[in-house]
Formats: sequence, structure tokens, C-alpha cells
Amino acid sequence: MLGVVLGFALSRIGFSSWDEVHRMFTFESLRMFLAFVVGVTLLTLAWPVVRRFSATPPRWSARPIHRGTLVGGLLFGVGWALSGACPSIALVQLGEGQAAALFTLAGIFVGNWLYSWVHERYFRWSAGSCVDD
Amino acid sequence: MIHHWPWWLGGLALAGVALTHWFVLGRQMAVSGRFTAIVNRWRFGAPDPSARALQSASRADLLAALQAATYAEFGAEEEASSSDASSTEPSAREREAPAAAAPIESSAAELPRVRTLAEHAVFLGSLVLGGLLSALLAGSLEFSLAPNGEIFAALFAKTPWSGALVLLVGGMLVGAGTRMAAGCTSGHGLCGVSRLQPGSLLATVAFFGAAVATAFVLRGLS
Repeated sequence: MLGVVLGFALSRIGFSSWDEVHRMFTFESLRMFLAFVVGVTLLTLAWPVVRRFSATPPRWSARPIHRGTLVGGLLFGVGWALSGACPSIALVQLGEGQAAALFTLAGIFVGNWLYSWVHERYFRWSAGSCVDD
Repeated sequence: MIHHWPWWLGGLALAGVALTHWFVLGRQMAVSGRFTAIVNRWRFGAPDPSARALQSASRADLLAALQAATYAEFGAEEEASSSDASSTEPSAREREAPAAAAPIESSAAELPRVRTLAEHAVFLGSLVLGGLLSALLAGSLEFSLAPNGEIFAALFAKTPWSGALVLLVGGMLVGAGTRMAAGCTSGHGLCGVSRLQPGSLLATVAFFGAAVATAFVLRGLS
């Protein structure tokens, strides 16, 4: 149910449109950047209130900087600009009838699988506890 | 044609969904983590039942069990005799004994539960439904093999397979990058940045920066 609302919202904001995402990254349209900034700002204000009024202290996983943070972020950014999709968006596009998102979705699974293999074979650093947040 | 929301409504929706996610599911929203969980399940199979039992044990119980196992293996005499010097302090073994005797269920809420594959699949599937609903209500549901985008088509879709290849490669970068950075737009960008987590701030600057640079390169190509 929550996923339906999220998918609907992402679609209506325009994150599922390759052209809109491209216009955001080239600063032709600041609308989605602003939506994102407003979302983050509202949450920044909301979390302390949530913490203040929750019965038990909420367990929010820390997201520390580790050796994969910068390079992983850069790879993801290039991929986002190429495919026009972050992980949830490929699914939303599929729902909208954009069948080509199947390629993006397959790519996400394959990329995730490949990196997990590479990580275990060569890197093996700890990414903190946030993998299954 | 889907009519896009104004920026303030979009921001409200993003914050609303992230907050609801926390209240309903008791976790911060993080979509790429669900992909990772599914891939892990695919690679390593179902989690060991003993791993699930471990998840429901509290930290104190785990420490006590570890210590008991250590004493059983190596003996506790040296430890006990060295702590005789300060005889007012109870020995480590005595201190831990009540915790070891406590029932395992006593503090099952201390560690988050491992979610099942079905829970991840339902969430990801409902994202598809959300997109479907949005297109249906806008009256723009049409099955198209090419991604909806004129700029994309002009750049990449000169042959039928070149567009698909770009999406596949882009998707692979998204999958590998989000796993490497341990988060995506929802977990790092939305929920991590708003909690001022250092890893999230760096990852978000990195992926927005790289995406902007890539988009400008693409625009230069067209």
C-alpha cells in the first residue's frame, strides 16, 4: 500500500520520465530538484519531533562514510543520468507501461549481483549496518 | 500525458511517504536495500534458521552466551583468580550469570527483524502498481517498448537495441553503485541526508554531481 503511494508520487513528480530527469540534471528545470530539497528539509525538521515524541528511542541506523561511499555514489550518478532511473523508478516506469524499463531493472539486479561478488572477492570492507535498513 | 505536480506538492509527498514508512514499518525508507536483500537471497539462499534465532536474541543474551562458550572452551580460572585482587567486585562470570539465565524472548525487540522475501517483493511490486495507477488516472497508459522520452530517443534510440543497451548499462551502474555506496536516492538522499548522516551526505553529493556531469556530457553529444 505504501509502495503504491510512493510509486504514484514518484510518477506524478516526474522522476519516471527520462526527459524530466535529464532536464533536472542539466538545470533546465529546477522543479524536481526543488521537490527533493523541500522533501529533505521537511524531513530534517520532522525527525527531531518524531524522536521527541516516540515512546522508545527510535533505532535509526547510522550511515557512516566507508570506502565505497564516494565511488559507489559516483557510479550510481552516472547510471542514473544514463538510464533515467534510480532503483524504485525502474519499477514505476514499468507500471506506466514503459516496457524498456525491463532492461534497466535487469541491469540493476545484475549490477547489484556483480558488485556483491566483486566486493567479496576483492574488497570485503564493512559498509556499516545499513544494507538491510 | 502525466501532468507533473508543482515542486512544493512533490516535496510534501516525498516527506510524507518517508515519514509514513517510518511510522508503519518502523524503519527508514531505503529501496536499494530491498534489491540487495533479494540479490542476497538469490545468491546465498534462505537464511539459516539459527541466524533467525540470533536475530531474536538480545545483545546481553548474545554476550552472555559468547562468554559462557569461551569459559567452556578455555576455562574461567585465570579470569576468576585475577579478579580476586579486587574481591569487592563480583567476577565477570557472576556479573553475567543473571543475563545468561534470562529467557531469550525477554528483549526480542532490541534487534530489527529480518524481513522476508515476500515483504520486499510486495513493496517493489506495489511500486509498479503505483506507476500503473498514475498512468491510468492520467489516461496515458500505453504500452511502449521505447522509454517515454524525446531527448532520450534523439540521443540513443537511433537503432532499436542501442536504447536498450544504454538502459541495461545504466541500470548495471545503478545496481553496482547503490550496493557499493550502501544506499540510493531514498535511503541516502532522502532519509540519510535529512538525518545529517555523513555517509549519506557524501553519497548524495557524489551521485547528484556525477549525474549532472553525465547529463551535461550527454547534452554535448546531442
